[in-house]
Amino acid sequence: MEKKVETICPYCGAGCHLNLVTRNGKIVRAEGAPGRTNEGQLCLKGLYGWEFLNDTKVLSPRLKKPLIRYSRSEPFHETSWEEAIRFASTRLMEIKKKYGPDAIMATGSARGPGNEANYVMQKLVRAVFGTNNIDHCARI
Amino acid sequence: MSNSIPEIEDSKLLFVFGYNAADSHPIVARRIVRAKEKGAQIITVDPRRTEAARISDLWLPITNGANMALVNACANVLIEEDLYNHDYVEKYTEGFESYRETVSRYSPEAVEHITGVKPELVRKAMRMYAAAPDAFILYGMGVTQFGQAVDVVKGLSGLALLTGNYGRPSVGIGPVRGQNNVQGTCDVGVLPNVFPGYQSVTDANVRAKFAKAWGVESLPDKVGYMLSAIPHLVKDGKLKAFYVFGEDPAQTDADLAGVREALQTLELVIVQDIFMNKTALFADVILPATAWGEHEGIYSSADRGFQHFRKAIEPKGDVKVDWEIFSLMANAMGYPMHYNNTKEIWDEMRELCPIYYGATYEKIDSQGGVQWPCPTLDHPGTPYLYKGNKFDRPNGKGLLFASEWRPPLEQVDGEYPLVLSTVREVGHYSCRTMTGNCPTLKTLADEPGYLQINSADAAKYGIEDEALLWISSRRGRVITRAQITDRANAGTVYMTYQWWIGACNELTLEHVDPISKTPEFKYCAVKIEPISDQLRAEQYLQEEYSKLRYRLSEPVH
Ligand code: SF4
Repeated sequence: MEKKVETICPYCGAGCHLNLVTRNGKIVRAEGAPGRTNEGQLCLKGLYGWEFLNDTKVLSPRLKKPLIRYSRSEPFHETSWEEAIRFASTRLMEIKKKYGPDAIMATGSARGPGNEANYVMQKLVRAVFGTNNIDHCARI
Repeated sequence: MSNSIPEIEDSKLLFVFGYNAADSHPIVARRIVRAKEKGAQIITVDPRRTEAARISDLWLPITNGANMALVNACANVLIEEDLYNHDYVEKYTEGFESYRETVSRYSPEAVEHITGVKPELVRKAMRMYAAAPDAFILYGMGVTQFGQAVDVVKGLSGLALLTGNYGRPSVGIGPVRGQNNVQGTCDVGVLPNVFPGYQSVTDANVRAKFAKAWGVESLPDKVGYMLSAIPHLVKDGKLKAFYVFGEDPAQTDADLAGVREALQTLELVIVQDIFMNKTALFADVILPATAWGEHEGIYSSADRGFQHFRKAIEPKGDVKVDWEIFSLMANAMGYPMHYNNTKEIWDEMRELCPIYYGATYEKIDSQGGVQWPCPTLDHPGTPYLYKGNKFDRPNGKGLLFASEWRPPLEQVDGEYPLVLSTVREVGHYSCRTMTGNCPTLKTLADEPGYLQINSADAAKYGIEDEALLWISSRRGRVITRAQITDRANAGTVYMTYQWWIGACNELTLEHVDPISKTPEFKYCAVKIEPISDQLRAEQYLQEEYSKLRYRLSEPVH
């Protein structure tokens, strides 16, 4: 059984609408959908840009587990979410205490995550870290 | 963008400035072609003979780095030939006298040695622009990626103000930007100076409103740092921790050697992403997130359109959605945070942002999208800004503002005789972790990418088509492949920035615009050297590529 989900292309600001067609929980193709800007048309990125979701490892592997290292000379090793969050948050709090909140900087992401994730990130930075040091790669 | 993408095709004149739509945004390019079919005139300003230049009625082949001088020359013609709209300037703008004073020194004849454009072409272009009933200016990274960028944008806006091209459909100015959700990240306050909805962090009332909603006593009142400042901040010991969310500064920023040094020096680097990338190689901890297709939310299109993207498949592996990871971090740091879905987050933000308040999920779904401003629940959204010619300034008037031209920082010389300008690749995207893992897109183009070079320069330096060569600047050296094309102008070479081996940002310069802090990706001095043993060069390339792929995949296994 094929299923269609209407969504928005993640590759440029034209914001084309497209349908992701799935079979047995896997994407099999994309097709143009009637959006305000694209009226059913797509470029190559819209048509084939979903392929990375099948973890092709053509260029680099998908991240599937939290990775950690306690010293930069060590290799990364897999860890649990609890430990990854504990480590990251404890180290941030130590740095905040020692150098002040403005010693911390964060980015947003102008790519796949979307507006809500970015909203929560800037809230975390402003309300919890206590700094306005947040920016994104608007410039590329 | 002041206006909408679909309006492009109904404009009577398109003034395309430093924007290569065919490679950057094919669907926008289609609107440009359609406008032409409907009879619109097209004027293109670009040093390269781009696709838009090819179909243009008029092409102004500008010398790289001369944007401000040319824009001022355009204003000079509009005023001195009395082509501008007196009534409009009188009623809806201010600053005309000092603006006129500045641009009076920029007649096309006086600045031809800078712009490289024949004065008659500039005059003809402005006569066409002023005569068109509706004219739309489209600009791109050929404007924004220079050390002088914000001034040029203001200059272009000045041309639209002088001719009354604002406040109705199919006019105005439109930056068509790079990544899909640059507009969205700005909209929701991922900027050091504003909260969501462009509300200033230096405004005490705004801070009080957000502090109350977020349940904290106070919020920081000092404008934060910009990303491009990181190498300096780290060197000065001001910055110690960096939380990198869905970006790859070790690939996409200018002067990569400087960025790597900063990443190495930082006490803590947290990376949250979907793929292993070059920045993650410097991390202490890596948090794996869901990707597009595996989660839902709202994106903003370049023309301020909120649109709903949806989940199509279940994620594989022990990954979490980004906002859930942030909530876990907040809780671990003693701040209670919990959301059940993106709609809850969106509603919290709407309540805090007057310009988005009416853009509910329901409306976005039923209309297919909502363009902000959308202040009330019964408001349909806003396809074009400045209706009634009211501008976003306290007195509602559009500001005419001209700046003096500043030359690019790094000049060519005997040792580095060519200008390097970075551009984008049609099939690929930003740092390429997503598209590079799409087999179909990979077949279109692969490492090390191409160096576009004019045939005269190729002959001069002994470079053959498709041959590998070395290119170097004062900051680094990379291998790349020649593509001889007379679409490129002599004296300048072009590289796309998506490549990992042929990484042009090893060469670029961290010289930023004083306001936008955008690095000067479009201008640095380089030299090129042919390689005599091509077979060994091809081997070297394959080895480097395998090594890099190994370094990226090793941490995951
Ligand atoms: S389909 Fe092409 S033009 Fe449309 S949003 Fe995607 S990348 Fe942009």
